[in-house]
This record gives sequence, C-alpha cells and structure tokens, in this order.
Amino acid sequence: MNPGKIYLDNCVTSAMAPEALEAMLPYFSDRFWYPGSFVSTGESANEALASFQKVVADSLSADAAEIHFTSGGTMANNIAIKGLAAALKGGHVICSVVDYPDLLTNAAYLEKQGFELTYLSADSEARIDLAELKAAIRPDTVLFMTTIVNHVVGTIQPIREISEILSGADHKIYFHADAGQAYGKMPLSMKDLGIDTMSISAHKIHGPQGIGALYVRKGTKLGQVIHGVKRVDNLQTGGLSMALIAGFAKAVELTFRDFDKNLAQLRELSDYLYARLKEKISDIELNGAPGMGRAPHNVNISIDYIEGEAITMMLDMHGITVATGSACASQGLKANYVLMAIGKNHVQSHGSMKFTLSRYTTKEDLDFTVDTLARITEELRSRSPLYNALKNQEK
Amino acid sequence: MQYSQKVLDHFMHPHNVGKMENPDATATEGSPSCGDQVTVFLKVNEESKVIEDISFLSYGCASNIATASIITDLAKGKSLEEAKAITWRDAMDALDGLPPVKVHCSVLAADTLQTAISNYEIAHGLKEVPNFSKETIIEELKKIIYPKVGEDIVSLKMVKYVGFSDGEVLIDLNMLSFDSWRDNVAEEIHEHLEKYPEVKKIQINFP
Repeated sequence: MNPGKIYLDNCVTSAMAPEALEAMLPYFSDRFWYPGSFVSTGESANEALASFQKVVADSLSADAAEIHFTSGGTMANNIAIKGLAAALKGGHVICSVVDYPDLLTNAAYLEKQGFELTYLSADSEARIDLAELKAAIRPDTVLFMTTIVNHVVGTIQPIREISEILSGADHKIYFHADAGQAYGKMPLSMKDLGIDTMSISAHKIHGPQGIGALYVRKGTKLGQVIHGVKRVDNLQTGGLSMALIAGFAKAVELTFRDFDKNLAQLRELSDYLYARLKEKISDIELNGAPGMGRAPHNVNISIDYIEGEAITMMLDMHGITVATGSACASQGLKANYVLMAIGKNHVQSHGSMKFTLSRYTTKEDLDFTVDTLARITEELRSRSPLYNALKNQEK
Repeated sequence: MQYSQKVLDHFMHPHNVGKMENPDATATEGSPSCGDQVTVFLKVNEESKVIEDISFLSYGCASNIATASIITDLAKGKSLEEAKAITWRDAMDALDGLPPVKVHCSVLAADTLQTAISNYEIAHGLKEVPNFSKETIIEELKKIIYPKVGEDIVSLKMVKYVGFSDGEVLIDLNMLSFDSWRDNVAEEIHEHLEKYPEVKKIQINFP
C-alpha cells in the first residue's frame, strides 16, 4: 500500500505546488517581518503584502484593497456572513439546502440570532430554481448566500441570473458567495458578477493550508467579528502568516497562468474519466449536472448494488484516494445531504463515489483508477445480495 | 477511524462468501436503505444438527463484510445449540475490535445468523414461531448500538421503560436533546421494530 499514490480528492485539499513552497521559504527565515510603518522591515513587508493582494485581486478582476487575507475559507465565510449580519442587525436571509456546511451552519446561527431563513430547494442536478428564488424575496430580505460550485456534485449555480434577480429587487440584497470549489476552476470576474462578498481558499488550488481570502466589494460595510490588534488586516485582526500569503499568491499565479488551457485540460481529463468509467463498469450514473454545467474537476457517480465505504477502502489499498457519500463512511452515519436533497435514494447515496481532479492528475492515473475500480466493483458485486438477487431475476 | 488488521484481512479476503445452492435455511436482515444488508445460508446435518456449511452475501461497508465473514467462521462445524450462543461481541472480539461507530455492523451479521438458525428450527418443527411480546422488544433493543461508545443501549441503561399494548410500543430513552446520536438511535429503533407485523405504532420519549 502506498497512501495517496493517486490522489483524486482534490476538493478536500490539494498537493502544494513546489513553486509555492519555494516562494514561502524566505518568509520563514530572512524576511520574517510583519507589515508595519516607518521602519524598513515593516515597509518591506507592506510592499510584499500589497503585491500578494494584487496577484489575488487580478485573478478576480478586483481591486487589491478588496482582498482580505484570512486563515482559510471557513474564516472568510464567517467574517463575511457574521459581519454582514452584524451590520444589517436583522431581516430575512436566503440560501439553499445544497449549500456548503460553512453557509448552512452560519444560516442556523443567524436563525438563532433572530434572522428569518428561507432554504431554497435544488433540482435533480443540484441547481437552485430561479423562480423559487424570485418568489422567496421579501421586502425585508437582506442577504442571499450560495455555493458557486457545489462541493459534492460539482454543479455550477447560475450566478449571473441570480445576480440579476437580486439587483432587480427594489432594495439592496447582499450577495455572499462561497467560491471554495469555484476559484481556479472557472473564470470569476468581480466586475460583472454582482457579488458583494466571496470566500476563496489557497489549499484547493495547490497553495498552502491555513490561508484563504475574503473579497469584499468596495463600500460594503461589515461589522467586525474578530476583535484584536491589527497586523495584516482590520477584518481578521491578529497576525497572519506572511509565508502562507506568499505561497497562496504563487499558487494563484500558477493557476491563472494559461488559465483557459488549464481549464480545458481539466475538462478533458474529467470527460475522459467518466467515459472510461461508463465503458468499463455497468449500472453507473452521473450525479449532478452533465457537461459544461459542472466544474471541470468533479466527477461524481453512483455505482449500483455496492456500498461506497467498501469501495473507497479497497481503492485505498491500491493507493488510490477518492471520496464517497456513503453513510457508513460519515462520522454521523448519515447519507450525504446533497445527494438526498437532489432526489437520490439511500442506495444511490451509499454507492456514490466522488473523484476530484487537479492539474497534476494524469491520464495514466485515471486508467489505473478505472481498471482497479472495475475489478473492485466486480468483486464486491459478487458478494452483494442485491446484485445476486438481480442476477437471479435475469435467469 | 482505524480498522484492525484482522478486519482488513476478512474484508479483502472474506471466508465463506457467495450464494449457496439449495440451502437448508436462509435469512436476510437489514435493508439497502439502512445502508447494509446481510444474507446467511445454512446447510445443517439433519441427524447431528451440526452446521456443515455456511455462506453469506453482504451489501455494506468493510466492517459489515468482515463481521459476516468471521461469523461464518465461528458458526461452521458447530451444533445449532452451540451456534445459538454466538453473539456480536464474539464477532467483534474475534476481529480484535471495531471502531465504536462501526459496532452496529457486527450486530447485523450475528443477528442474521440467529434468524437463519431460528428459521431452520421453525421449518423443522424444532420450535414454534415465537409470540411477540415486551421481551421481543427488549431483545431487539439489545441489538441497537450507541455509536458514540460502541455498546448497546440496554447494557448502557439508556432504556428506562418499555411498554407494549394494542400494537403500540412505548419506549423511554435516556438521551439528552443535545446528543447528536439521538436521531440515529431513534431511527434504528424504528427499523428494528417496524419489521414485526404486531407493531402498529412506536412512541419514543426523551427526557
């Protein structure tokens, strides 16, 4: 067994780019200073920070001043949502049942604070219904939140259409987006998406763990959530690692260099994976939107008659890391809530497998994965009473 | 979560796996919607009442397959009386333990073996179809594992009261409202009791 020899769980975290690690090193040694003023060490750190902000801002067609580094995507989501809530003081908030846990747990928190919540449903491909959104808007609706790329099935939400609906309301409705799975996987221009606040994370794009950023549109007022000394930012006070920020900026540079080509390559790889899976394994189905409706790095399938934890364990024995939506693999023994919300049954959720690719994934990795999975599927199906019952019926 | 080497061995190379042609008795427990299902097949010597052959099929996770495999090892060659004494604890011990959240898998395998034996005995006139009673309910509750610690809810004294009249089951369960496993345990109770036609309604009370 060779753990993580083939790593196809990049939506959880991704291998750090060697160039990003290289970019971090000086900030662990010679250039260990914090941003400050008057003295040369602090000024030097100021300049470095400004340049890193600009790199991230450029990748989003935003201004450098709109980028705030945080200790990760979850912190960015919390600063934005709780910050908006503190500024708004109350009202009606809309999100959806398929959102990322960061948004759903914050929504539950807002409910406890006296906000009223509407949870939109999702269609069979995990896309929210625009008519339902329109109908949900009330005179006191103050905030809409969404997960741009669904973290389970990879479906892309119709951001432009959502934005038009929100801006068409007769009062301001703030728009917060979680872009954890979207950033680096699709173009995101803050100039024309109408998003007010958005969270991104470094370690999903081959940057270091423990660093992310919050985009805050100029003029958006956020109440302060984390109180303390201002070192790097006035939204997340206290110290942040300059080395991690440097690594993040390098990862952004690498991701957005030849961006279109990178995206096309990811799309080709995931199309190839799905085609090979269909060719080699019977009775599988795609979960989420097909084709361009999904992010280019996500392939989520359900394999009938067998259970995902067993499949995952066997793939792991062959050095292949993937994820499953099976209840048996979850700490709470619950079927995946996104799959259940989009109308899949328990068996489809238990047998679901999520492959998330990266620019380091090769066709050879995918060939080995599919061949191994085909053998495992055959073996587990031979042990399965459900598959045996089916074969009996066919006889 | 970490599996023992024995669990991994039985998962990767299960013993006595596969459908049996012309078994003397069979039983299927669990359901695909609960996430796991086990079928056990028995061949029993009519004279000696010894389990001469046994096999299983499993739809479930690694620990489900491993516990079904070890249960067949434990039962093979035993008399029905001896095999009736095999419990989920025996299966778990033989596998060098299971993570607490996975203990319920061993219950399903042991349960299926016992149902198969019972089916054999009923079919061969060795026992009557048992009457449904309060004791049946308590026996079922002993098969429900509190996933946090991997022990059954009866041993843990979480069951404060069991009542049964006119098809209605009443259970008082000592689980606090902030216990994140409360829904899970309640769901398991429903799954275990709803399979009895005598049960029309289940009422679970919490403090």
